[in-house]
Amino acid sequence: MEAEKFIATSSPHLHSSDNVPRAMRDVIISLIPVSLVAMYFFRLNAIFITLVCIGTAMLTEVLFRRIMRKKPSLQDGSAALTGLFVALCFSAGTSWWLAAMATFIAIGLAKEWTGGLGWNRFNPALFGRVSVILLAPWVGFLNNEFFYWRVNFAGVDTISQATPMSLLQMGLPMPNMGTMFFAYPGGGLAETSAFALLLGAGYLLYKKHITWHIPVSILGTVFIGSVVLGQHPVYHLISGGLLLGAFYMATDWVTSPITQKGKIVFGISIGILVLIFRIVLAPTEGVAFAILIMNAFVPLIDRATRRLKFGEAAMVKTNSGLAVTGKSAQNAH
Amino acid sequence: MMVKSFSGGVYLPHYKHLTEAKPIERLPLPLELIIPLKQHTGAPCEALVAVGDRVKAGQKIGESRSPVSAPVHSPLNGIVKEIVTRQSVTGEMVECVVIACDSEQEMAVYPAEDVSSLSAQEIKDRIREAGVVGMGGAAFPTYMKLSPPKHVDTLIINGCECEPFLTCDHRLMLERVSDIIVGARLIAKVLGVSKIVFAVETNKQDALDLLNEKIRDEEGMEAVPLDIKYPQGSEKQLIYAVSQRVIPTGKLPYDVGVVVQNVATAAAVKDAVVHRRPLMERVVTLTGSGVKNPGNYLVPVGTTLRHVVEAAGGLNDNAVKIIVGGPMTGRAQSGLDVPLIKGSGGILAFDEDFLTEQDYLACVRCGKCVEHCPMLLYPNYIGQYAELGRYEMAENWGAKDCFECGACVYVCPSSRPIVNFVRQTKAAAAKRHRESTRQPI
Repeated sequence: MEAEKFIATSSPHLHSSDNVPRAMRDVIISLIPVSLVAMYFFRLNAIFITLVCIGTAMLTEVLFRRIMRKKPSLQDGSAALTGLFVALCFSAGTSWWLAAMATFIAIGLAKEWTGGLGWNRFNPALFGRVSVILLAPWVGFLNNEFFYWRVNFAGVDTISQATPMSLLQMGLPMPNMGTMFFAYPGGGLAETSAFALLLGAGYLLYKKHITWHIPVSILGTVFIGSVVLGQHPVYHLISGGLLLGAFYMATDWVTSPITQKGKIVFGISIGILVLIFRIVLAPTEGVAFAILIMNAFVPLIDRATRRLKFGEAAMVKTNSGLAVTGKSAQNAH
Repeated sequence: MMVKSFSGGVYLPHYKHLTEAKPIERLPLPLELIIPLKQHTGAPCEALVAVGDRVKAGQKIGESRSPVSAPVHSPLNGIVKEIVTRQSVTGEMVECVVIACDSEQEMAVYPAEDVSSLSAQEIKDRIREAGVVGMGGAAFPTYMKLSPPKHVDTLIINGCECEPFLTCDHRLMLERVSDIIVGARLIAKVLGVSKIVFAVETNKQDALDLLNEKIRDEEGMEAVPLDIKYPQGSEKQLIYAVSQRVIPTGKLPYDVGVVVQNVATAAAVKDAVVHRRPLMERVVTLTGSGVKNPGNYLVPVGTTLRHVVEAAGGLNDNAVKIIVGGPMTGRAQSGLDVPLIKGSGGILAFDEDFLTEQDYLACVRCGKCVEHCPMLLYPNYIGQYAELGRYEMAENWGAKDCFECGACVYVCPSSRPIVNFVRQTKAAAAKRHRESTRQPI
């Protein structure tokens, strides 16, 4: 007992069980329902593209961190999650090469190159997804046709089905709303089931990894906006990437505002941009563009919505000669 | 019933079940006391005794002429063995009087006096003479707090005990409720306030019930139940919860007409005024996963952690961390040979399983620290800027208003040591201030 030496670290000495790997794991868990629905519809195609993206994400992270001489960080789970997100943004018919390139850009450029988890300004998965869309016409090797080793698993004919979003934009009759809500194979993997996405989102809200502010302000804005513009609000909400965007992409901790007020401003702005993209512009990835554009404004939103310290407003009041409370004003006399 | 609280803060697991039902017990007395001559916020005392002197229990052994200080007394009979400078539980190097105590102790008796005719000044003098300091942790000399430069209308007696694990104030409320009420009356008399509020978190319902029963016929007294939220016991948050008054940045409780005193301080005031008994012992909660017999123990000031731990049955072999104070703001000690002081409410011993130290990651901007900060600061930015050495930006985001409650670190999923970053920022600001005010030679 004489030679004892105790650990003398500084306070506080208690920590919650919250940590980044656990949060990433919970987000991955929350995406299981929608992934299962996608795999049910698209079978091996969905499984394959998901594995390609997750694998590419992890390899890219290892590679970039090695080049940048940083400690490996696969254990925080964020690379695997980004890979899964990229996969969910694609449809099952996408060439695996394109998906892998999108993932490479997501992890390599959008995340690691800008400083790693915590320092990226843009949502990596969306950045990767949108980059390949924008680059494909210019860069040959991103093109679907470039890589001849195509992998296509037989027995799936739903892949080429028109997406509900394009039907909506072309004014064609939509599938039954109930079908669309629960399970409908059109568009990206994450667009197969609004119900499954909401189930996962509910789990994230319950686990307090996300708050209601961003999703509610995005969805509320799109809902009200589509009513005003004479479109069917519920189809707008449950089709395209809106639910995935509102609950998962826009709520990304790193790339969204820090305060509740800021989150609401951010959400409403995204909602407005989504409406503009969907109704005015070409029918592709409006949600992704809207979120990425607003990602760029996050520092500005944070500054504009900076809150006062506890006591700061009272200080301003006392300094300008007003009393703090009625009671203390009486006492002063 | 709606319980009152404040913005921000965090619901912590409170681990109080280990000791909340354990009555206060007196431990076998130590044979040696190491009594620091500074146990308070303010100027250190000078020793009034020399090596070889015989001291009696209750004798004043240290005093300062500074207005912000509190005298120190010997709790036991003995002989001054040496006067040395040692590290205190607060980390400061302080002069200590080491006393070899008599093996047979005769406890001094302090009969109650009639104090109804004492003036406010006389009460304050007795409080000062008895060395009473705030016993909730900060140990500010109590008589100083009882001389506010402005009129106040409310006295809050703080029985929140919002730090997890600690139960010394809870037990004191159950076992010395009448003394606390008498002490509160005396403090109220000094301040000239008519309203006394006992503020207690609802995890101490028995204490609330007992207080309510005792103050039923008392004029101007009220027991207010508060939410079990950390840091409810912090002055600014407590005052807001109780009275909805906000202390302006840079101001003190009396600026909004309030004085806050801890329940243990109120009991010490009663001892000091009614019995003229100096503050020389206190209740300490010994608890945690590394302790064999958790409990609430009455120990003389100057007793070493080692004596308390051993007299109470010892540590488990796997104890690896010792904290004096609560787990959120207390200070980890590297060894057991440090003495307890007037403000030490707890000794915690944790085993490996309780350790949470790990490498920290980059801020992921989850916003949890911002959501939980009771001062409504931006701990994320303070941490990021301080980490980069940009202390002026860290100050800009509110580092100086931080009282280091640790709620941000508790919730941080990246385990960022934000409180450390705040301390670095404050140290850098102090250094800059010193340099800018230094006179040219």
